[in-house]
Amino acid sequence: MKRIFPFLFALFFAGNIFAADVATDFSTANKLYAEGKFADAANAYGKILASGVTSPNLFFNYGNVEFKSGNLGEAIAAFRRAELLAPRDSEIRANLAFVRNQVQGATVRESFWQNWLGNLSLNEWTVFAAIAFWLTFLVLAAKQIRPALATKLKSATWVFAALTIFSGAILGVQAANHFTRQTAVVASAQATARSGPFDDAQTAFTIRDGAELSVLDRRDDWVQVADGSGKTGWLQNKLVEILPGA
Amino acid sequence: MSRIIRHIFLIVGFLFLAATGLISTHARAATFTASLDRDTISLGETAALSLAFEGAQPKNVPSPDVPGLQIVNSGTSQNVSFINGAMSSTVTVTFSVTARQAGEFTIPALTADVNGQQLSTEPLKLTVLKADAPPAAAIDSGNEIAFMKLSLPGKKVYVGQMLTAQLQVCLRDDVQNFGDFQFTGQPADGFTINKMVQGQNRREQIGNRVYTVIPLTFALTAMKTGTLSLGPFTASATLVVPSANDQGGDPFFRQFFNQGERKQIPLATGTLTAQSVPLPAENVPANFNGAVGDYQLTATVGPTNLTVGDPVTVRVRISGRGDLGSVTLPDQTALRDFKIFAPTSKARYSDQLGMEGDKTFEEIITPQNSDVHEWPQFSFSFFNPDDAQYHTLAEPAVPLAVKAAGATPMPNFAANKNSAAENQTPQDILPIKENLGTLAKNSAPLISQPAFVALQTLPIFAFIGAFIWRKRADNLANNPRLRRKIAVEKLVQTGIADLQKFATENNSEEFFALLFRLLQEQIGERLDCPATAITENVVEENSILRGVPDLTRNDLRELFQLCNQARYAPVRGTSELNSVAMQFEKAVRELQEVKA
Repeated sequence: MKRIFPFLFALFFAGNIFAADVATDFSTANKLYAEGKFADAANAYGKILASGVTSPNLFFNYGNVEFKSGNLGEAIAAFRRAELLAPRDSEIRANLAFVRNQVQGATVRESFWQNWLGNLSLNEWTVFAAIAFWLTFLVLAAKQIRPALATKLKSATWVFAALTIFSGAILGVQAANHFTRQTAVVASAQATARSGPFDDAQTAFTIRDGAELSVLDRRDDWVQVADGSGKTGWLQNKLVEILPGA
Repeated sequence: MSRIIRHIFLIVGFLFLAATGLISTHARAATFTASLDRDTISLGETAALSLAFEGAQPKNVPSPDVPGLQIVNSGTSQNVSFINGAMSSTVTVTFSVTARQAGEFTIPALTADVNGQQLSTEPLKLTVLKADAPPAAAIDSGNEIAFMKLSLPGKKVYVGQMLTAQLQVCLRDDVQNFGDFQFTGQPADGFTINKMVQGQNRREQIGNRVYTVIPLTFALTAMKTGTLSLGPFTASATLVVPSANDQGGDPFFRQFFNQGERKQIPLATGTLTAQSVPLPAENVPANFNGAVGDYQLTATVGPTNLTVGDPVTVRVRISGRGDLGSVTLPDQTALRDFKIFAPTSKARYSDQLGMEGDKTFEEIITPQNSDVHEWPQFSFSFFNPDDAQYHTLAEPAVPLAVKAAGATPMPNFAANKNSAAENQTPQDILPIKENLGTLAKNSAPLISQPAFVALQTLPIFAFIGAFIWRKRADNLANNPRLRRKIAVEKLVQTGIADLQKFATENNSEEFFALLFRLLQEQIGERLDCPATAITENVVEENSILRGVPDLTRNDLRELFQLCNQARYAPVRGTSELNSVAMQFEKAVRELQEVKA
């Protein structure tokens, strides 16, 4: 037991030192942005992200700097990643909507229900469902321990059970979206979708930077996508940013 | 042996003949001729042009090209014949010749390379007669074996109006078969001909003969104003009619055994005209965009609760009768505060002619500022040719709740308190954030982390534990013997400790009093009778205790006797009391094993 305290102490301070380093790098990147050195700022934000750290604000600033650099696709991808972490952040939504408005051509947009479900992140839906689940079973356990409380807890039991089913169903949908329905954001000035996953396959259609497409399939270095009008084609992985569905 | 010799002679003879035939074939000069199966056809009929190469194979087959005639290669055949020991081979290339217009045509001389020789054919003449609708007198007399009739519903149409016309193909009752029907001309000046649908055949008395009438209905759209004409439609068909050479004999048997004669005949209709008038210039609705017909309108808008920049789907459904293909959404100038994406449309027809159905427009619009409170009233205007009036359909405005996109901090362009400025469309993205915010390691979602999922089993186990506990408590409450057993076990457990305490204190009076009580309680519980009723005699007399080992019964009896003796001589030493306590403990343990 005595040995664990120095370890936890070291871990705590290491974490703090690490956070301090990241904050310093973040400030440096912000400064570069303020000076109009967008390419340098993008590199600085990218370096922090490459270290495995995430934060909505970090993705937000990265999205801003990519937009300022003229990379609509990279900006949209960054804002969408920020939105996944902080779905109700109005600034993220505003910037995402602004950049999306600059995109030309057919693009895939979330449905009303996807938008509504997106008000909570996948982790938030998970915690919500878990709380409802815990409360349901704890109330059921309390009723076993204190049968006298059964009448008083009847309504609560139904409410918590309904919440569990509701949040569980939504969590199922969101998890399925997250793990199976991916989105590809075109991160190239103009990308040519081909009818097959080969360089010399026929051109199916062309898409502009920032277009959001549904991912249908992946094969080696290629990804099969469908645009908003239902056209399908294969794009090289390097031309797109792949995002989870929810 | 003689048969073998005969066969050898036959083979040699055949080879000789073949060799001489070949020689004679080579010796004869090759020819190239062109011929038509007939020199006069009606417009719509097809003639056959044959190019015959005799005595040699052509290096190339010329393809005739005559303006006004459609000449299509229809196949090649080869014929080899032996005549007087001379073999002749003829290759025939056949073309079908169809005239696009009436007149005199000349198929020019054709040249082909045959065995290195340039051979030419003679020019051929083909006369194409105009197909005319048969005169009414001929129809009435029943002389026409087949004819076509064209009819329009009226003489007046509006430009853009869709109407139906009918073409009737009439076949006289003695036509045994009818096929290969093909239009050769469908002229229409000012009309667009749409889909054609074949109706149910019927029999009709026309003149003095009965005809089978095949109705073909088709939709037309008037494309311009002025006099529009339709026809003459021309077609060709192959009929099987009774053979003219087989008219004798019994008519009953003739109908079964007359194979009939195939005839290719041209058919033609007359020309119909209609007056196309422009749409009235008075009372034209402002948003009229050319829709002619009779329509209904429905529209849906959703979602209605949104943020600036969020997409709203507008679905407009226009249904009814008319040229749905040309129906477009009217200008939506009222949607000033919306960004409008190009709409998509899908038409579905409920009839075969494509004149009735619905067309659904789906349009994505995004509100550009939070001052948008509604999707404005939507209207669609059309001209109905039936009542010759313009009509305007309207869908009411749909309220929208539009929230501002970025609430805090407001971007510099929107930070101005001036409401006009607040309502401007954003010109730039919101600035970067100064704080790093909540930092997290890039990790998998909670739902895919095994530790988190395992944690969710805890409430289930808690519930199961509580359930089991509850069941045990209920069981105990409903079982007084079990309850007594547990209570006595506890009493004995604490009693043994107290006995040891009294032994240590050398308090023999309390010791034996407690011992006696414990014996009563334990045996009473085992025998399911009141503890006060237990005496030494019970040990001897009770049938249950008779099943207890003798040693234990002796111990119990001895313990009762010690308790009785202690009333008269209570003083005992600590070691003796401890020994009694141990004896009691041993006896009780064995007693507890006894099945009650």
